[in-house]
Amino acid sequence: MSYRWEVLRVNLSTGVANKEPLNEDWARKYFGGRGLAAKYLYEELGEGVDPLSPDNKVILATGPLTGTIVSCSGKLAIVSKSPATGLIVDCSIGGTFASQLKYAGYDLLIIEGQAKKPIYLLINDDRVEIRDAENVWGKGIYETDIILRKQHGTDTSVLSIGPAGENQIPFSCVGSEYRQAGRGSLGSVLGVKRMKAIICSGSKDMTVPDMPRLLDLVKQTIINDVLSDDNIWAYNEGTPMIVELANSSGVLPTRNYQDGVFESAQNINAESIKGLKPEKKACFSCALGCGKYLSLKETAVEGPDYETLALAGSNCGIGDLKAIAEFNAKCDDLGLDTISLGNVLGFAMEMTEKGIKDFGVRFGDVTTYLRMPELVTYREGIGQDLSLGVKQLSQKYGGSEFAMQVKGLELPGYDPRGSWGMGLAYATASRGGCHMSAWPIASEAFGDIDPFTIEGKAQLVISAQDSNAIKFSLILCDFWALSMETMSQIMSCLLDRDVTVAELESAGERIWNLLRLFNVREGFSVTDDSLPERVFKEVLRSGATTGKVLPRDQFDIMLQEYYRLRGWDNRGIPTPEKLAQLNM
Amino acid sequence: MKLILDKEKCIGCKICELVCSAKHQGVFNPQKAHLKITDSYTKTGREQEMKTCTLCKDCIASCPVEAITFNGNWLVIDDGLCTGCGQCVDACPEGAIYLNSGGIAAVPDFCEGAPLCVEWCPRQAIRKEEEIS
Repeated sequence: MSYRWEVLRVNLSTGVANKEPLNEDWARKYFGGRGLAAKYLYEELGEGVDPLSPDNKVILATGPLTGTIVSCSGKLAIVSKSPATGLIVDCSIGGTFASQLKYAGYDLLIIEGQAKKPIYLLINDDRVEIRDAENVWGKGIYETDIILRKQHGTDTSVLSIGPAGENQIPFSCVGSEYRQAGRGSLGSVLGVKRMKAIICSGSKDMTVPDMPRLLDLVKQTIINDVLSDDNIWAYNEGTPMIVELANSSGVLPTRNYQDGVFESAQNINAESIKGLKPEKKACFSCALGCGKYLSLKETAVEGPDYETLALAGSNCGIGDLKAIAEFNAKCDDLGLDTISLGNVLGFAMEMTEKGIKDFGVRFGDVTTYLRMPELVTYREGIGQDLSLGVKQLSQKYGGSEFAMQVKGLELPGYDPRGSWGMGLAYATASRGGCHMSAWPIASEAFGDIDPFTIEGKAQLVISAQDSNAIKFSLILCDFWALSMETMSQIMSCLLDRDVTVAELESAGERIWNLLRLFNVREGFSVTDDSLPERVFKEVLRSGATTGKVLPRDQFDIMLQEYYRLRGWDNRGIPTPEKLAQLNM
Repeated sequence: MKLILDKEKCIGCKICELVCSAKHQGVFNPQKAHLKITDSYTKTGREQEMKTCTLCKDCIASCPVEAITFNGNWLVIDDGLCTGCGQCVDACPEGAIYLNSGGIAAVPDFCEGAPLCVEWCPRQAIRKEEEIS
């Protein structure tokens, strides 16, 4: 069966673990992963719950594809209410954890309450235990993984937080096998719960309705689609190839988005990384294998990926690849989101250089830069301030016009002044300044569509948001650029019923509306769907984007068109008619 | 026959394990695969290992009812003789034998000479060698 029809619910306050049936109606409408976990969170979490209170929940979700041989199906979705933004947050993380949870017999794992002392959760099929975590509390994510796997066997998967999560840094992540669920501070939600780690192994068979048919289909998709030119860049070069693309398009965030072209881009691009001879690495059941794994002197890192190269590289004026890799490794081990910390440092560097507030950090200063992950994690020295995140930092010291965040989430590595649809994607993303909901820049600055117009951008963003919403619910990785038709073929084979493209599209739209409903319930609306002032007012200074802003009036028109096409009112609230149409 | 892993090429996707359990048991379950790719993570890198049948024949020696035989290329189980005692599972130093859902020992047969793990590996990291050197 593609579903286990079982939810594991663990309450850390009472220490009780329960198994309960998966809601079949919800599974039919939201499929799995991001959508299904969001549905559970929406229904179970009342309005206004403090994300850092025991009342918040963390939902780990597999999808109907998890554990099968379908390629690029290895990721796990993690959903909660974000302490960084107050929005719903969903992250996905690769590796092997999701498949182990599925083989252990669960579609979803819901974590509730708060333990009295540090614990970790042990799952081995039906055996579920809450264990004392004194021996790993305070340890980095790498070491925690090693210790727990030594204790429980290498054939298990570990998901853990680092000291940053324990210390509730508002941009702390969850890590597993050198990968991260990075955004929205899931690390601190687990930190508050005093949950250091989850270790999971499973041995239960997964059956499918027609194995020979599925194997035939999957084999064809691997040969003709997954490993085709459309996707193989992920294996050959991986996301670092975007450095050159972004730089030549004038959208590479440089010195806190003061520029879109970085003079040292050639030192941090895909070619430079190849020079460090990374090993290739894949998630469970992925034929593509985008992972680039570097062994450094005393540590190792999977990456740096594009977002880290951009935010912790050019955005901090750092053109030293080894320094970025070392910074990346420190963040991954301590449990910090490199996108957010890169933004924090870029902001602090600009504040310092402009003489508004001296944080003692300067663009391009590698020595100070490399000390920052520790100082922030332990709130030492200036780390005390920097651990606030960009939004709160600007509220405390000024500079809000160049605080590069949306709804409290620091922006990823694509300057919206050079890709206006990307601006709309940031402004409307369910988790704040995020590039995962939609990536229109691929067809704008990196493609054939004029990036400096709002024409057609609302529809472009909507289509991408809806298709990613269903893709991340099934769960498939965004690096497989597959069509809805292929998705429909795979799902029809797997569920042994006709799963049409229309059904998947409709589910994608339903999931997107559900995420919006969650955020609307928390009080978010049109005034929050905006961008930093810098994007509207300050022109870029070099390269392909010289002289460009995203004009505020154009943005407002684009946003209203987006609402209209979505069937939302002019404040961005889904209308009753739209919700009825989506059977919600 | 023998299976060889090229560690330089292996990306650790485990598609070999999945296709192995799918072919032999009709299910997806890496625990029911005749080969196992183990990744261990340390501070200085990833270490990989493939465990699979080396034709050491310890299983044949361990079987109390002589249900396992070697046909010159791979192992063969006699379902009628096997009692499901599990001694071969314990005896296999590579962990390549398991009991199937019917309680009968599943012994590695290299897909009777055309191993699907070799065919499916997206990076051609597994190859077969006909002769044992």
